[in-house]
Amino acid sequence: MRTLIRLMLKEELRTHTTYSGQRFFTFPIVVFIFALILALFMERLLVEASLSQLMLLALASAFIYGIGVGSFGFMGRQYIEKRYGTQNYIVAMPSLLPITYRKTFLGLYIRDSIFYILLVLVPAVAGLLVASPFTGFKITSILFFFVAAVLSFQIGTSISFFGSILYNRSSLAFITFTSVLIALVILGGALKVFDIQLIVPALGFEFSLPPFAADYQSALLFLTVSLAMIFALIGLSIALMKFNFIVRDSRHESILPKYIEMFSLSKSYKNLVGKEFVDLRRSGTIGKMSFSFILPLVFLSFTSWFVNTGLGIEVGFNTVFYGAMVGFLGVLLYSWLNNVDSADYYSLIPVTVPQVIRARLIVFLFLTLGISTAFVVIISIMNNEVDILWLALLVMFITSIYMVVMTAYLTGLRTNTFLFDMGIMGRFAIMSFLPDVCLTILSFSLRTDPLFSASSIILVLAILIGTTIILLKGIETKWRRTGFDI
Amino acid sequence: MFGLFGPNGAGKTTLLRILTGQLEQDSGSASVMGIDVKKKPMDVKKLIGIVPEVESPPTYLTSYEYLYFVAKIRNIDDIDRKIGQWFDFFELHDSKNVICRDLSKGMRQKLMIASAFIHEPKLVFLDEPFINLDPIYQRKLREFLTEYIDGGGTAFLCSHILEIAEKLCDKAAIISEGKIVAEGSLKDLVREGGHLEDLFMRLVKKGG
Repeated sequence: MRTLIRLMLKEELRTHTTYSGQRFFTFPIVVFIFALILALFMERLLVEASLSQLMLLALASAFIYGIGVGSFGFMGRQYIEKRYGTQNYIVAMPSLLPITYRKTFLGLYIRDSIFYILLVLVPAVAGLLVASPFTGFKITSILFFFVAAVLSFQIGTSISFFGSILYNRSSLAFITFTSVLIALVILGGALKVFDIQLIVPALGFEFSLPPFAADYQSALLFLTVSLAMIFALIGLSIALMKFNFIVRDSRHESILPKYIEMFSLSKSYKNLVGKEFVDLRRSGTIGKMSFSFILPLVFLSFTSWFVNTGLGIEVGFNTVFYGAMVGFLGVLLYSWLNNVDSADYYSLIPVTVPQVIRARLIVFLFLTLGISTAFVVIISIMNNEVDILWLALLVMFITSIYMVVMTAYLTGLRTNTFLFDMGIMGRFAIMSFLPDVCLTILSFSLRTDPLFSASSIILVLAILIGTTIILLKGIETKWRRTGFDI
Repeated sequence: MFGLFGPNGAGKTTLLRILTGQLEQDSGSASVMGIDVKKKPMDVKKLIGIVPEVESPPTYLTSYEYLYFVAKIRNIDDIDRKIGQWFDFFELHDSKNVICRDLSKGMRQKLMIASAFIHEPKLVFLDEPFINLDPIYQRKLREFLTEYIDGGGTAFLCSHILEIAEKLCDKAAIISEGKIVAEGSLKDLVREGGHLEDLFMRLVKKGG
C-alpha cells in the first residue's frame, strides 16, 4: 500500500507539473504568503467581522474544498475507461494487474488527503504560525484550528467520496443519500429532533477550544465523533465500491437535434451548447454538480444558524452575504463543466478553444440562474429579509457571472489544473478575494448603515460588470491559439 | 496519396498535428492548400478531414449524434442523407443510438473515418486509419480511398502497415528522429530499396 500511495503521489504531482511546470511548487508558497498577510491584517478585519464569523468561513471553506477533492469517485468509470484522451492512471491498473479497485481507490483517497492537506492546509497554518509573534495568536489555538480544518476537510472528502461511490452503484441511492443529508441538516438544525452537534463535530471541536471556550471534554468528544464519521464513511465507501465492467450497449434516443433547436437563442453557439447539454444529461453531471453546489450552500446556511443558535455565538450573515457566496461557488460549477468529457476531439473540427469556453459560459448561465435564484429567495424568506432581496439577487447575478468569466479567462478549459499554477492562482486569489472581502464586509453593515452599505455594494458591482466585459473580450485573445490538449 | 512512414517516436503524428492545425510548431513554417497553418488553423480545418491516431469521439453522443454534430459544425446541407451513406458504408445502423463510450474500438474508428469524410474534403490526413478495423473493412476502406484519390482527392497517410501503404501511395517520405531521410515517388523509392519494407528497415537503421 505504501508503494502504491507513493507512486500515486508522484503521479498527481506530475499531472500538475505537466501543465504548469516547476511553477506548481510555488503554489504552497502563495498560500503561505496569503495566510501570513491575512493574519497580519486580522486586527483590522476584526473591526468589521467577528473572529467566529471568520473561523466559520475558514472551516466551511475547508469542508467545501474537501467536497470537491473527494468527488474523484465520480470519475471512477472515466479513470478506468481511459476517458481522458491518451492518459491513463494508476487507479485503473486493476484491469491489468492483480490488485483490486478497492485498494487503488483507497490509495486515491489517502493520496488526495495527503496531497491537498500538504498543498493548502499546511502552508496556510504555517503562515498563521509565522505571523503569531506579531498578531498575538496563541500557537495552541492555531494548532487547534489546524486540527479542526483537517477534520472539516476530511469530513467533506469522506462525504463526497461516499456520495460518489453510491452514485456509481445507483442514482437512486445517491439521490437518497443527498436527500437524507439535507434532511438531517434540517431536522437537527431547524427542528432540533436530535443533538445538532453530531452533524458538525469539527465545528463543535473548534468552538469548544480557545479562544472561543475551554471545554476540553466536549472537544475530545467532537474529535472522536469526527474521526468515527470519517472512518465510517471511508469504510462504507470501500465496502460498497463496485464498477460494472460488462460491456453495455446503452441505447439513447437522438436528442441532439432537438437540443440544438432548443438552444437556438445561443445563435452561433447553439450546436456547442446543445451538445454540452446532451453531455450533462447523459453523464449524470447535473446530479454531481448539484451535490457539489447545493450541499456547500446548505452546509453554510446551516452552520451559520448552528453557530448563532446552537453555540450562542453571533454571526450576522444576511441574504446579501449569501448572494455573494452563491456567486463565488459558481467556480465549482464551471470546473464541473470542464470535467464532463475530454475535449480532444474538438481539435479535429473547425472549433476554437474560446468558442467552447463561451459555449460553457452560456451553459453555466442556463444552469445556475434558476437554482441560485431559488436559493437566495428561500434564504431571504427564512431570514425574514425580503426587503433586501433585490440587492441580494443583484449581487448573486453579477458575482456569479464575474467569477465564472474570470475563472474561464484565467484557466480556459482546464480549471482544476491551472488553478494550481502559482501565477494563475495568485491572480485568481486577488481577483476573487478583493470583491469577496468587500461584499462580505459591506453586507455586515447593511443593517447599521443601509444607505452607505447599499451604495458601496452597487459601486463594487459596477466595477465587477466592467471587469467582466473586459475579461470576456480577453478570452478570445488569450485562448485562440491554444490547442484542446493543453 | 502521400505516405509518411517511420518508426515509433519518429515524429509522424507530431508532423500531422502541425499540418492540421492541432499543434503549433516552435519554428519553421507549414502551409496546407496554400494557407499558413499557424496563422489560420481554422481555415485549414474547414477544408480538410482528419482521422486521428487515437479514436476519440465524444463519450456521450450516439453514433448518429456525433456525425450530426460534426455536420452541423461544418454547415453541411442534407445531413441525414450523408449520415445515411456512411451508416450504409460501415453498416453502422445497429449502433445508431449507442453512445460512443459503449462502442467497440473498431466502431469508433469507423465513426472517426466517417466524420473526416462527411463534408467531402479535397484533402484528408489519416493517422493509422486501418488500426482496429477487421480485414473486411480494411479492404473496404482501401477501395474507398482508391476511389477517393481517383476522384481527385488527396490523402496524407501515416501508417505502419507497409503492405497497404505500398498499394495505395504514389508518393512517400520516410521520417526518422524528426528528419525526412527519404522522399519521392514510391516507384523510385522502391526501385532503390527493393520493397518498401526493406527500404524502411535500411534507412531507419541508418538513421538510428
